[in-house]
Amino acid sequence: MKAFRFIAENCDLCRKCEEACAQVCGSSKKQSGAYVPHIRVMQSPEGPFMRLCKHCEDAPCVDACIGESLQRGPNGLIIQDEDRCIGCFMCNMVCPHGAMKTIMSQEKAFKCTLMCGKEEKPTCVFACDRGALFFDDLRAQNNEKRRAKLRGYPKK
Amino acid sequence: MKKIKTASTTGRQHVIVGNCIAAVSAAETLRKMNPQDSIVIIGEEDVPSYSRCLITYFLGDMITRKHLLSHDAQWYAERNVELMLSSRAEGLDVKNRQVMVRQNGKNKTVSYDTLLVATGSTPIFLPAFPYDPDGIIGMRNYADSVRLKSWAKKGKKAVIIGAGFVGLKSAYGLVKQGVQVKVVELLPTVLGRMTDLEASARVKARLTRHELLEIELNNSVIATRKRGDGYVVTYQDGTEEACDFIVASVGVRACTDFLKDSGVDIDRIVLVDDRQQTSVDGIYAAGDVCRSRHIVTGEWIYNAIWPVAAAGARIAAANMSGEKLTYEGNIPMNSVDFYELWITAIGNVQDEGPDVEEITFKTPAIYQKVKLRGGVPFAFMSIGNVDGAGIIRGAIVGKTPWEEFVRRPNAKVLPVVNSYAADPAATACA
Repeated sequence: MKAFRFIAENCDLCRKCEEACAQVCGSSKKQSGAYVPHIRVMQSPEGPFMRLCKHCEDAPCVDACIGESLQRGPNGLIIQDEDRCIGCFMCNMVCPHGAMKTIMSQEKAFKCTLMCGKEEKPTCVFACDRGALFFDDLRAQNNEKRRAKLRGYPKK
Repeated sequence: MKKIKTASTTGRQHVIVGNCIAAVSAAETLRKMNPQDSIVIIGEEDVPSYSRCLITYFLGDMITRKHLLSHDAQWYAERNVELMLSSRAEGLDVKNRQVMVRQNGKNKTVSYDTLLVATGSTPIFLPAFPYDPDGIIGMRNYADSVRLKSWAKKGKKAVIIGAGFVGLKSAYGLVKQGVQVKVVELLPTVLGRMTDLEASARVKARLTRHELLEIELNNSVIATRKRGDGYVVTYQDGTEEACDFIVASVGVRACTDFLKDSGVDIDRIVLVDDRQQTSVDGIYAAGDVCRSRHIVTGEWIYNAIWPVAAAGARIAAANMSGEKLTYEGNIPMNSVDFYELWITAIGNVQDEGPDVEEITFKTPAIYQKVKLRGGVPFAFMSIGNVDGAGIIRGAIVGKTPWEEFVRRPNAKVLPVVNSYAADPAATACA
């Protein structure tokens, strides 16, 4: 299974990934009608950082979703049935990556569900020409401690 | 151990008592890990599984019946799970590995190889407000929401006892139906220990902006009596108030009745071990019926929240399938929205002590508070802006020192961290 990886040192906040996401992803456009990408690159004194769903192997958001809106899809990615979201923001409360896009006026939370349909190379990764954004094997990204924790963990 | 013949000829029989999230989460895992075994779910209600957290949204017509009842017969059929509805577990024979069930007036026995107790919890009623199907009920299941909905007509008046999450969410739903609601709470804060006085005042102000909703703190109901079609409640100061119906939401107790005298160790709640197994071999428990670990302190606590039920049940199911997994537990937490005012609370915000430090961030729209002990955050509460709450939950669960946490790039998403990093002296107060 694959997931996103961000290399802060290579990012110069050009925002091409955000633009590409907002243009292609029907989901974020449909819901807001405006420029609302699922990927957010933010600046901090310590450097840029990315907020995007990592499609975790243990996915605390799926366990926390009282509306059963977030589910693990057949391809292992975390998908969302936006119509079932009732805006309790339990997912936002448990997501350690701050990936949930909470839109107060719509009383819903949104996330990357790879709706751009490019599972080999998502639109945002394709748009990044700085070498800051990758989509590769999730297991390789996990450190030893996390790998040990996930061993034998029954996936939802 | 003597193995008895079971209903299944191909494999073992896993029986789950209860039919909410812990049950369906366990059934899913059991099916994935044991394609040949038979799985039986014994559900007390007459509808298939649904999310109990959504019944107040159903009450307020924010979601439809179809949306609420998410698991249809097909869901069970696809996973080859036998579902017994309207079936109440009434006893347990540990020696012969059988559950005694009463279904539509008939007694049945269901044999099991492994059993999962996922009966959940039920509202507490006190002598001052005893359960009365005609007008004093709790808000716990689908039937409760249907009944409340049938009573919730414009011009009616309801008294809700308890201003916890269920009480306020019920009030929110009833007000949406045009019912005049009064919420009475014994504590000085709404939402129990998850808010402080200021947060409580903000939530109360937002909710009671609605003309039909009144919230009274530091008060309690000491008696109720029937009068005509309605009820009269007596408050602790002796004043009386008439209403049409009453919702009790002062807390829940675990549904352990059918385990009485079975040999399963219970101390109000089912005492499970780290593998979710009870004191009896082969009998597991998950969800609101049993205890779980506090993920930070490691203490056994009663943490009756959805994520604990979902994750704990999956661990239980894996162990019922022969794995040896432990569940690390979770932290008390909750998140809710009233009229676009979001509230997220993680840990006990009211925890005080000489070694406790707090850091706050206040604007008219946002109120955030972090509590530290020994420089490590242990509780967080946010009102107005809850964006990125999970990032600080990660620090609480991971026992990350505050000074280290505030230097993390993504921590700056939180206003309380951002303002502290800019000027520690201004935001920290002892």
